[in-house]
Amino acid sequence: MQKKSLGKLGVAVLASASLVFAVAAPAAHAATKKVIVGIAYDLGGRSQPGFNQLAYIGYTDYLKKYPGAGLKESQATNADTDATRSSRLKLLVQAGANPIVAVGFNYITAVKTVAPLFPKVKFAIVDDNSINLPNVEGLNFKAEQGSYLVGAIAALTSKTGHVGYIGGVKTPLLQAFEAGFTAGVHKIKPTDMVDVTYISTPPDFSGFNAPDKGHEAALGMYQNGADVVYAAAGGTGAGVHQAAQEQGKFSIGVDADEALFASNISSGSAKAILTSALKNVNVGVASFLTDVKTGKFKAQNKYFDITNGGVGYALTGGHVSAAIQKTVNALAKQIAAGTIVVPTDPTKA
Amino acid sequence: MSTVNRVKDILRSPARLYLVAGLALAALSLIQIWTGANDITSDGASGATLRFSIPLLMAGLGGLWSERAGVINIGLEGMMIVGTWMGAWFGFKSGPWVGMLAAAIGGIIAGLLHALLTVRIGIDQAVSGLAINLLAYGTTRFLSGVYFPPAGGDILTSPYVKPIALFTVPWLSPHLISLEHKHYFFISDLAGIIAGLITRTSWASLLLMMALPLTIWILWRTKFGLRVRFSGENPVASESLGVNVYRTRFIAIAVSGALAGLGGAYISVVSTGHYLENQTAGRGYIGLATVIFGNWKPMGVFAGAVLFGWTDALRIRQSDSVHATLLAVVAIAVIVALIKLYQKKFKVAIISLVCGSLVLFYFFAQKVVPDEFVTFFPNLTTIIVLAFLSQRLRPPAMAGAPYRKGEE
Repeated sequence: MQKKSLGKLGVAVLASASLVFAVAAPAAHAATKKVIVGIAYDLGGRSQPGFNQLAYIGYTDYLKKYPGAGLKESQATNADTDATRSSRLKLLVQAGANPIVAVGFNYITAVKTVAPLFPKVKFAIVDDNSINLPNVEGLNFKAEQGSYLVGAIAALTSKTGHVGYIGGVKTPLLQAFEAGFTAGVHKIKPTDMVDVTYISTPPDFSGFNAPDKGHEAALGMYQNGADVVYAAAGGTGAGVHQAAQEQGKFSIGVDADEALFASNISSGSAKAILTSALKNVNVGVASFLTDVKTGKFKAQNKYFDITNGGVGYALTGGHVSAAIQKTVNALAKQIAAGTIVVPTDPTKA
Repeated sequence: MSTVNRVKDILRSPARLYLVAGLALAALSLIQIWTGANDITSDGASGATLRFSIPLLMAGLGGLWSERAGVINIGLEGMMIVGTWMGAWFGFKSGPWVGMLAAAIGGIIAGLLHALLTVRIGIDQAVSGLAINLLAYGTTRFLSGVYFPPAGGDILTSPYVKPIALFTVPWLSPHLISLEHKHYFFISDLAGIIAGLITRTSWASLLLMMALPLTIWILWRTKFGLRVRFSGENPVASESLGVNVYRTRFIAIAVSGALAGLGGAYISVVSTGHYLENQTAGRGYIGLATVIFGNWKPMGVFAGAVLFGWTDALRIRQSDSVHATLLAVVAIAVIVALIKLYQKKFKVAIISLVCGSLVLFYFFAQKVVPDEFVTFFPNLTTIIVLAFLSQRLRPPAMAGAPYRKGEE
């Protein structure tokens, strides 16, 4: 019985994957001459503050300069596999989208598979520098630099000398956030304690999409003495901000300026957001789309950091005093000049 | 001699549950004093355990109802998904309590579909359950795309639901918390655990917890409950004695669906505040595991849900505490070994001691327990229970077997 149902489970998983894919896929329209931008999102969707939304904002920024381009979107699900991601990219191509932005490192294999099949379609992938194909551009962000700055802000704000970091999924990318944050904290106060929790571990990527667990994780940190918690966890961050508000403590957002959005999460939780580590995916996406439009596209890896507005920190909410800003801006200058090298490996932070 | 007999009597009576719970708490208390990990029995950890356990408990009780009536319900996950969706959408439209009700109704509909397919049409129970899971997944995806974007959400996310009110028991809660912070042995731990359950607790938690005593009462104390269990043990005999097995099973599976749906709504409405695709994240299957862990008994299901919820809460809140609880595992291994030595079962005693010392070695060799392991814990526990205690497991005799009215 057990064995039999396991076999069935396998079949069912396959069937569910194809079902999801079928539901997700918009009907393919015949290609028109109008430029259609394709965006394949990562988990979370574009209505939540985060890099999906920023990718979309990148597209709207581009529209302001070059109006008229259409948009085709493709949604991710927790049940996605490389196969379903590839199919979704193919569907975007078949729907006439070109150029196409794949948001997030989850698309590495899918882009590697699909891009060679359509050499005339230009692809960009966010958070990856490993693909070496003539029609793919990698958009990379030195997110550890932004994390370093908010780490310094956290250390300057904390009264208990105890801060926390909540990562969505334990991947090297998120560990770079952790490393940057810890280094920033310890730059200001070398003895401050930094609690670290990851909501899930690969291949389980639900940690980007679990506000309930983020809420409990943050409560745990606050109740054990932390008073500033940095959430680099996508949709999970909403739960962290809510916990901060309940406990009367501070949280730090990630990627987008979360204080602008959090009011629709629970009344007042925007006020609990001290700052956000900005990762301006929109800058990267807009630059890619502009490159394609103006014929400057080439196969390369672009890096966005403190020097070109790729990363930074947010001031919404007014919690970051002028004195703190001054200290942090001085650190930013040192990073830009290369005198501070922000680590990306938490074991060396 | 008489004292020995009296001790044996106590160990056989239902009071042994309290004894075991008390010993466990004392052990945890000692561990906290010794290792300095102070979050194991704090009010925060206990509240988080409650919030993590309830969806598992609801799914587990759902599985129990269905299997006791003789039908395996792999569709629990799907029924939970239906619950998350219905709870969030109707919660957004008409308030959270309406959402909870709608989730129960959605679960009942999914349950009745499962009953129709398995009981009436006679489709294999595992196949039907998986079909329910797929159907729930696809249908909610479709409905999300239709309803959420115009209301301010997107295809994966619903708009926010107004939260259900929280309650804190006045006087008792602050006093217990201040007692907890004094860090007395045992008393403070007990105070912390109770404080966590009555401080900032959702009314929904209280309401859903009632499902446990209600299930015990209905299934073991009423005529209807006897018929349900009879249908699971021997449908042919119960039909011959005048029980309408089909109808009984329909009702039991509908209840199963309602419970799973409520568990799903708890995740979306209470824990998260909105619907997120895939937010059940396999908790229906963990619920099914609690049924096996709990030997098809409500209190066993409850114990499983609390154990799995608690490990999750510990890991999420403070991963040090998981490491400290390894010592509790060592203690259990030593106690089991002593009991088996007393019973002169040397092989089991030695195995238990070896396992215990391996864990102890790991405790000193490593500073943390890998997150992967904790995530895997419910699966591992269920495998261990199946492997080593399968002789003592007592599933309903005809759970999973096809039954046609009038056939032997």
